[in-house]
Amino acid sequence: MSDSQAALTDDLFDVVGFMVVSAHKLLDEPQHYGPFRLIDAASRLVETLEDHDVGSEALDRIREEIERGKTTCMGSEQEFRTFLEGLVDMVVGELKA
Amino acid sequence: MDIHQAIRTRRSIRRYTDRPVSREDLLRLVEAGCWAPTASNLQAWRFVILTRPDRLRALRVLAPGFIGRAPAAIVICQDVGHIEQRAGAAAVDFCAKMDSACAAQNIMLEAHGLGLGTCAVGSFEVGGLQDLLDLPEHVVPVLLIAVGYPKAQPAPPERHIEGSYYFEDYHE
Repeated sequence: MSDSQAALTDDLFDVVGFMVVSAHKLLDEPQHYGPFRLIDAASRLVETLEDHDVGSEALDRIREEIERGKTTCMGSEQEFRTFLEGLVDMVVGELKA
Repeated sequence: MDIHQAIRTRRSIRRYTDRPVSREDLLRLVEAGCWAPTASNLQAWRFVILTRPDRLRALRVLAPGFIGRAPAAIVICQDVGHIEQRAGAAAVDFCAKMDSACAAQNIMLEAHGLGLGTCAVGSFEVGGLQDLLDLPEHVVPVLLIAVGYPKAQPAPPERHIEGSYYFEDYHE
């Protein structure tokens, strides 16, 4: 395995570890933390891939949107729901492009 | 900044710049924590300060609530053995949480006064963190505080003052 592959697998391990720990913690955490952890994991995954020169403009846009709005889950449920719906629209738009 | 202004303008910060936090400032935060109210003057708090990239990287895995890339973190632990010895087994949970919360608020307000941002984090693997930090069994992490310079100042969330208090007796 090359050095760059080894670095990538180390970083991916962190994302996978985060998802595993999140799954465990979510057993006892508020329900809306679930979608929040999922999009945070998605953002971390895109960030990790970008750090290793793997990515696309579409992934960039989705990650930027996640980072812009992910903490709305700390505010109103409706605002978070609207944010997630917008995120899904983005994904659909990318699929159709 | 007066106390009321500090209380009203402190925010939970989840986006940080890369600027490191000085050792002096981190020690000042811990000192502020040590001046917090503590049940029966227990002072059972033990603060573990993390600044090394490998430590913070592991923390991002073990603490899903540790959002963003803060350049420092303070793990507020409690020596539950000390609490049990001094205050009894029944007091451990209450004292550990209350004293940690009081210390955390002091730390976060002191940080705000220094221009630092913080975020209290309760979502983390207790056992995993004990392993990572080589904590003995009787020293338990209770709360994490992410510390760093804010990338942006979030808008204040709505606060409901009216309806949250009653004089003399409670009424719906």
